[in-house]
Amino acid sequence: MTTKNVHVKIDEMKTSTGLIKNLELSIGKVVDDSWAEPMGPTPMPSLTTLRDWDMKLLNRYKPFYMPDCDLCCLCTYGKCDLTAGKRGACGLDIGAQSSRIVLLACSIGAATHTGHARHVVDHLIEKYGRRHPIDVGGLNVKVEAPVTRLVTGIRPETLGDLEDVLEYCETQITHCLSAAHTGQEGNNLDFESKAFHAGMIDQVGMEVADIAQISTLNFPKADPEAPLIQMGIGTVDTSKPVIMCIGHNVVPSVGIIDYMKDSGLADKMEVVGLCCTAFDNTRYYDRAKIVGPISWQLRFIRGGFADVVVLDEQCVRTDMFNEAERVKAPVIAASEKNCMGFKDRTNDPADEIVADLVSGKVPGVLILDPDKVGEVAVKVAKQIAPIRRKMKVLPEIDEIVALAKTCRQCNMCQRSCPQDLKIPAALKAATEGNIAPLTELYEECIGCGRCEEVCPVKLQIHSFIVKAGEKYMIEETNLCRAGRGAVQDVEIRNVGSPIVLGEIPGILAVVGCANYPHGGKDVYDICREFALRRYIVVTSGCSAMSAGSYKNDEGKTLYEEFTGTFEAGGVLNVGSCVANSHIAGAAIKVANIFAKRPLRGNYEEIADYIHNRVGAVGLAWGAYSQKAASIAAGFWRLGVPVLVGPHGSKYRRMLLGREDKPEDWEVYDARTGDKVNIGPAPEHLFQTVETPQEAMVAIAKLCIRPNDTWKGRSIKLSHYIDLHKRHYGVMPPDLHLFVRTMADVPMTMKDEITAILEAKGWKETVIPDPTLLPRMIRKKKE
Amino acid sequence: MSMFKDIPVDVGVIYEGERIRRNDMQVELGGPTVKEKFELAKVRPMDAIEDGKVTIIGPDIKDMKEGDAYPLGILVEAAGSTLDSQLEGVIERRIHGYLNYIEGFMHLNQRYDIWIRLGKKSFQKGLNSFEYIGKVLYKLFKSELPIIEKVQITFITDPDKVKELYPVAMNDYETRDAKARGLKDEEVDKFYGCVLCQSFAPSHVCVITPQRYSNCGAISWFDGRASAQIDPKGPVFAIERGELLNAEKGEFAGVNEEVKKRTLGEVNQVWLYTAFGHPHTSCGCFEAVAFYIPEVDGFGVVHRSFKGVTVNGLPFSTLADSTAGGRQIDGFHGMSIEYMRSKKFLAADDGWNRVVWLPKEVKERVKDFIPADIVDKIATEEDVQNIDALKAFLKEKNHPVVARWTEAVAVEEVAPAEAQAEEGAMMPVATAAALPIMAGGFKIILKDAKIYAKKVIIRSMKDEKKS
Repeated sequence: MTTKNVHVKIDEMKTSTGLIKNLELSIGKVVDDSWAEPMGPTPMPSLTTLRDWDMKLLNRYKPFYMPDCDLCCLCTYGKCDLTAGKRGACGLDIGAQSSRIVLLACSIGAATHTGHARHVVDHLIEKYGRRHPIDVGGLNVKVEAPVTRLVTGIRPETLGDLEDVLEYCETQITHCLSAAHTGQEGNNLDFESKAFHAGMIDQVGMEVADIAQISTLNFPKADPEAPLIQMGIGTVDTSKPVIMCIGHNVVPSVGIIDYMKDSGLADKMEVVGLCCTAFDNTRYYDRAKIVGPISWQLRFIRGGFADVVVLDEQCVRTDMFNEAERVKAPVIAASEKNCMGFKDRTNDPADEIVADLVSGKVPGVLILDPDKVGEVAVKVAKQIAPIRRKMKVLPEIDEIVALAKTCRQCNMCQRSCPQDLKIPAALKAATEGNIAPLTELYEECIGCGRCEEVCPVKLQIHSFIVKAGEKYMIEETNLCRAGRGAVQDVEIRNVGSPIVLGEIPGILAVVGCANYPHGGKDVYDICREFALRRYIVVTSGCSAMSAGSYKNDEGKTLYEEFTGTFEAGGVLNVGSCVANSHIAGAAIKVANIFAKRPLRGNYEEIADYIHNRVGAVGLAWGAYSQKAASIAAGFWRLGVPVLVGPHGSKYRRMLLGREDKPEDWEVYDARTGDKVNIGPAPEHLFQTVETPQEAMVAIAKLCIRPNDTWKGRSIKLSHYIDLHKRHYGVMPPDLHLFVRTMADVPMTMKDEITAILEAKGWKETVIPDPTLLPRMIRKKKE
Repeated sequence: MSMFKDIPVDVGVIYEGERIRRNDMQVELGGPTVKEKFELAKVRPMDAIEDGKVTIIGPDIKDMKEGDAYPLGILVEAAGSTLDSQLEGVIERRIHGYLNYIEGFMHLNQRYDIWIRLGKKSFQKGLNSFEYIGKVLYKLFKSELPIIEKVQITFITDPDKVKELYPVAMNDYETRDAKARGLKDEEVDKFYGCVLCQSFAPSHVCVITPQRYSNCGAISWFDGRASAQIDPKGPVFAIERGELLNAEKGEFAGVNEEVKKRTLGEVNQVWLYTAFGHPHTSCGCFEAVAFYIPEVDGFGVVHRSFKGVTVNGLPFSTLADSTAGGRQIDGFHGMSIEYMRSKKFLAADDGWNRVVWLPKEVKERVKDFIPADIVDKIATEEDVQNIDALKAFLKEKNHPVVARWTEAVAVEEVAPAEAQAEEGAMMPVATAAALPIMAGGFKIILKDAKIYAKKVIIRSMKDEKKS
């Protein structure tokens, strides 16, 4: 624990050995460094401390740019045309500019999580005190903050300790962001390295936010059997007043839930959430409900289900005040970062605010005191629900049919739709009384509302789609496991060996949004496929909701079908976006708890370990945000490959390995110091995939690591071959690159593969103790 | 899938974890509702085996009623010029792995406890005869275990015949076990080593002897022997035992030499039967850990899945951390549960006479191997929860360690925290009382002194010594 500003003053003191008069002792900071683990080489790395490590990765996985925009319009020299190798007025070329945008995105993402963490920590310190202990899993979790320990060298024991960690993060984010100013970096790889840095900081910020809220708000503490939560619009009892919370920051929701419980209204109201707030609400209160992912905001509002809308921060539709006003649902903005233009009523009496909202005098208010948010939201919901129940919100089918006839078939809606959905055709069918095509769009629409914005005749296309899909919508009754938080040290110990040896074929982390047509189902299918194959499947955020939104033949959701333990065939939901840090944390803990690698301020060695030995892959199927970019960047720096779905190409670049260049795939054998070619394992660090089938094949392949034992490798290859054959119809063309000795060959395919190896002129090689760091080569002792 | 092109379903490692639910099952073979079932491997003389022959005695799968359970015996008879009956157990255990590679075919447990389900889908695809199952086994045995030169496989489903052979199989298992347990370290000239765990514990070499299972509990001396033969380049290798240097502690010249070589000199001496001096290294996946409790001069043992804390207030994780990573730590010993059934279990430290605490679950598992006069004297988590209670318990039961207590008991090391300024110079912090202590014969007078420190780091003396 750290103490700040210690001041001792002694006017006069006499002892047998001395005399002290007017002694003033002032100490800026007292650091209790009784942590036995010595400090590693890189505590609190600066922008360049880990640059060498980044360059090792970036030289193997070279950025492949796919500029979404050929122009730069950031400064007044511009716009600058950067096509065909041209440089802009500042001197940047398109590669550097693209990586600069990546750095900007990652810095925004890191700032968002860290800002979130700062707010949560400040608030919780005010409420629980600086000395409140950090506890994320009792006896089962001794390494409470693996990412923080690794990056900063701090072992946080109290809430107060987290302030030091955040100060570091805030400084680094400022530096990262400043590097994106015109006339700072010029080299694309330097921009990339700084983006990695922002991603690493982001992981720390997320971890701080989550361990602070777990420690204070009685969230599940690394519990594999965290409660199953009701999820889906169909689970919301609309005969009761409904408070809907959107965003990521649980603090205002805690105010609501506490006030509701204290006033004895727990059975008489519904508190539901969208996006990550939904997760953290249910971690706090297991009778809160999850409506669904980010893309369902409009759906739920247009459906008229919400009586009061409470907005906190991140991923909130910025036209929410507009949308809510249309259905006469008062809005409470509760975050400094998201004031929505409302008047600040924080210091007004609650009942006055309630009266203004219920009467419709104002459509919304800004309240920055979470307890007051609770009181106002509950009272407004109670009073306004009976009035709102009489309203009709969605158009009737016959109205849709009539309105569809005004459609000019100009195709603007389809052209502006990010998913190119066939809206004009569906409207045309509707004019003939056939709404089935509109109903189909319900499953595909990601709820952005761009179609309505461009419609020259102002058709409320999204409302039509919601009405057409209403039947499905109100039947959505699923279960999602509440976010469990960290992975227990004990669980890591149990799976450490099979993961590192490759016998558990991999860890698949399905994170972020599933914002893509059929994205939810695709995420479900992918998770189930790999859980059945006995990979460890970890979910978080909106993907965790999507994973729970479908059922198997027996009517069971994924979370009922599979165990929530971190083990082969488990499907775990760690929680909200900030809980993502526990996934990186689990990989780090494999190196630390299981393999005894020192953690403290020892980033490079741990990343080298994870990259070469822990067969983990991240998948963000429908990632859209800057936060998703920074989350991915955090994994890149740890050497963990990340896949993004089809529109992930808009992140502007991939990090691709070249399997055709053998010189790119050399590692040191730590036992001998020899350079050994390990083949393209893992082949890429960041890759876009277009279909769930392509994703499945890529996942199986990217789990391959140089350290796999022959048994582990044969298991991994079996899955890769099986999926490749199933989805591409042939044996993988690069199979021979992953066979090191004949024992690697899956035993049931020996004949077939032996023939392939012979045809390719394959030669046996050794299985090294792999490392990219020369200093890890072991010295022989005499 | 050229290897299995004549099998109507797919065969592959990916089907290993497949579960078949009752509703999806065509037939069940063995399992909880069938009393008599077994699988058995026998090594026979070369001329007694017809290579590749599959025999079915009794009804075949296609003759069985959907949804019913049937008795089953699987007999794998193998021959090979270097094959001997000591490898029967190793061959037999492969049956489980191989059968699970068949799509829609689930095999659980082993020996007299087998439980097999065939899924409806695979049956419909044509997997309707033991002929196919036998072919899969045959191919995999031949391709994976080249020391098997000939193999024939018999499936027995005739209830009378299964009944007749069941006691024969039971007798075989018993004989095999007795023989395995009876084999002594002194009776063999080769031990086996395993370095599979070096990827996370670089200075760990598991030494596997007839009386000492691998730390993970997965590899017996017989398994080690088979692995080393089958895959000479693999992680398991033979160790020439060499000269017996110390019979009591279990020190062998060949072991020392091999360990030194394989750990690049990190470890050069290993005593196999003790937790003191030069104990066997501990990897990261040992099943249990023995830990010395100085207050009572005895050992506690705790296994991996034990929830909560042991008698000294520490959970498995902390104790495991004290020795994991391929280190030799005095008083700690990572090991398998099976090792507790060995006569050499901590033999140099007085074996079971020195064990004072065990989780109840482990005690139940190894009860038959604890000397009868000591078994009730070992406390479990249900008897005592702390060291004081343990002392009282041992005294009351007159545990053999009590006799040792007349000698001096180890004194706990107390590490006082002491202040140290960041710059290295000693600097008093926060308490005025501490100020004069450092005077050492001089008189210090501080008048109108102002001391500012930007940062003071407090470290305990104990840590300083370590680093």
